[in-house]
This record gives sequence, structure tokens and C-alpha cells, in this order.
Amino acid sequence: MKELKENIIQRIKASFADAKERNDFSDNRVDFHVKKETIPSILFYLKEEMGFIHLSHISCVDWLEEGEFELVFIVWSPVDKVKVFVRTRVDRENPVMDNIDMIWRQANTYEREFREMFGIQFTGLVAPDEFILEDWQGPPPFRRDFDTAEYAEKTFWNRPGREDAQDVRETISGRDGEEIPDFAKKYSR
Amino acid sequence: MINDKHSQKIVDYIQNWSRKHSIWVLAYGTGCGAIEIPPTMTSRYDAERLGVRGAATPRQADVLLITGYLTVKTLKRVIRVYEQMQDPKYVIGFGSCTINGGMYYDSYNTINVLDKYLPVDVYINGCMPRPEAVLSGFAQLQKRIAEGRADGAAQYKENLEWYRANQKRIIPNWVMPEYNW
Repeated sequence: MKELKENIIQRIKASFADAKERNDFSDNRVDFHVKKETIPSILFYLKEEMGFIHLSHISCVDWLEEGEFELVFIVWSPVDKVKVFVRTRVDRENPVMDNIDMIWRQANTYEREFREMFGIQFTGLVAPDEFILEDWQGPPPFRRDFDTAEYAEKTFWNRPGREDAQDVRETISGRDGEEIPDFAKKYSR
Repeated sequence: MINDKHSQKIVDYIQNWSRKHSIWVLAYGTGCGAIEIPPTMTSRYDAERLGVRGAATPRQADVLLITGYLTVKTLKRVIRVYEQMQDPKYVIGFGSCTINGGMYYDSYNTINVLDKYLPVDVYINGCMPRPEAVLSGFAQLQKRIAEGRADGAAQYKENLEWYRANQKRIIPNWVMPEYNW
């Protein structure tokens, strides 16, 4: 396994000069960090030349403090039993990324989700309309600077005076003739 | 129809008695709570001995169970389903999420309080309510039907503007049919 991983790293580094590898994983994992322009070519090379035919997952991480999104493409080789993580960073202010659905068509689903949840624009995206969120008008909700609690409070408003729900408790007990137990009475206003 | 007050009382009694013994639940699960319905319906808890059984379509159903969290997207469908149901119709709010949002109280896409959008006759609390709690909720609904107090549908008709305003407040793209009842 060790020689196999070294071999993969050597082949990738020979073809892509900007690939920075991490090889300190104990399992069958190899990790590359590349520039975002290299992503289509490195993924195409991994798929067509090195047998990484399966796209396991595409993941997005919001590095708010560094002002970047990190996209992680995970590919798997069923022959070598090795998975390769290809990471890249995209600018958070203007997140534009190359579309890879000509390599794997199923990448389209991930890309539509990232467009909706993180606001990343993919060039030439097929079906760039709403995906999961229907009639969404707020900012992309998976961004870390989106305050879900504040948004929920604003959108799904509370009735005034419903903070402790004591009036509900009293209404229900009065309507159905139940007695409020002693431990609950002390919360009464 | 019946002008005599006492005859009307007897008719109401018979009507409510028969209604409470044939509660047909729409087979429509909106959240994770729907997983508690199969054990409630099958042999161990056997809800059918109370007259509770599944119904295939909204027009055949009496009870709409809102099982757990309700996203804005699902709320649209739930409103349509509720308005297609025929009288008598009742709504049971199932689980903490329908009462105050539950563990999804700060989620960006799930509603917090169900009775702002639909009239709820009985709430069952718990996360999740076990089948015993579900049966207890149905028993409570039967009690309310027998007493003639399960009048959520009438409230919905009376206060339709209020409910519509609340629904339209969170569903911006309103493409639903307008009813004239």
C-alpha cells in the first residue's frame, strides 16, 4: 500500500506542478491541494489515466476567517483500493468554479446544491435553477455568516407574550379540566 | 333541518358517536414521526380497535397527522391536502416540532408553531411520542369529538383570512387555488 501511494503521488506530481501532497494518513488515503484552475485536468487525469473512476463525494468547507471556500473532491479507485482527496480553495467574495460534469455527470447534483447552499457559481451549470430550497429569498443558508436562529426568529415569528408558554398551559388546563401540577405552578407569572 | 332543540341534541350525539369510532388517518408522513405510525397500526398496539385506520386519499380521510417537523416546502402541500379533505376533518400535531419547533426551533426552513397555519385539534408532545402517547392522543381526539369540541375545521373557515395571511407570510410564491367556501 505504501509503494502504491508513493507511486500515485509521483505520477501526479510529475504531471501537475502545483499539486502539494499530504501522505501522513495511516489508511488508504492520499491528499492533494491544487489551484482551482487545475481541478478539471487533474480529475480528468485521475479518471482516465489512473483508474480513479468513481466520484465518491464533493464537499465544501466554509473558511470564513480566511475568506475562502474549500472544495474537496473525493475519488476512488476500485482496482487500487485507494481514495484520493483533491482540495482547492475558491475566493469567498466571488466564488466561481469550473464545472466538472463532463467528467462525471453526477457532479451536477453536488454543484447545484453548492450553488444554492453556498452561492458558488459553476460555469456552464446544467439546470441552474432552484434545487432543494423552494422560493428561497434569503442568503445562501450554509454560509457560516448566515445566522439561522435570527433568520428563523424573523421568519417564523413568535406571538407576543408566548415566551414561557404559561398562558397556553393555563388555557389547556382550563379547557380540559386538568389540574396544573405543583411543580409547574411556580413558573406561573 | 331539525328545529326541535332536543332532537338536534340526539342527532348530534349519534353523529359524534359514529364519527369518533371511525377515525381514518391520511397516510401522509411529513417528518421523522411517521416512523411511529406503523407500530401504532400493527398488531402490538393495534389502533384499529379504536377505529383508527389508514386512508389512501385526502378525500377519504378524517384526520391529518402532522408527524414531526414541517418544512416550508412541505407546508404548501399540507395546506393543499388539508383543504381537499372533506368535513369532518381534524388535525393532530404530532411531536415537539409542531408545538414550538422542537429541536429545529432555529432551523432556517422549518416552521415553529403549527397552529398559526392550520387549526390543530389535539397536540401530542414528545420527541418522538411513543405509540402509547399516539393512542392517548387519539383517545383525546375521540373525547373531544364526542363532546362536539373538535371544531378546528369550522375555526379555519371562520378565520380563513388570518390563516391565509400567516401562510402567505412564509410562502412568498403563492400558486395555490383560492377556494370560495
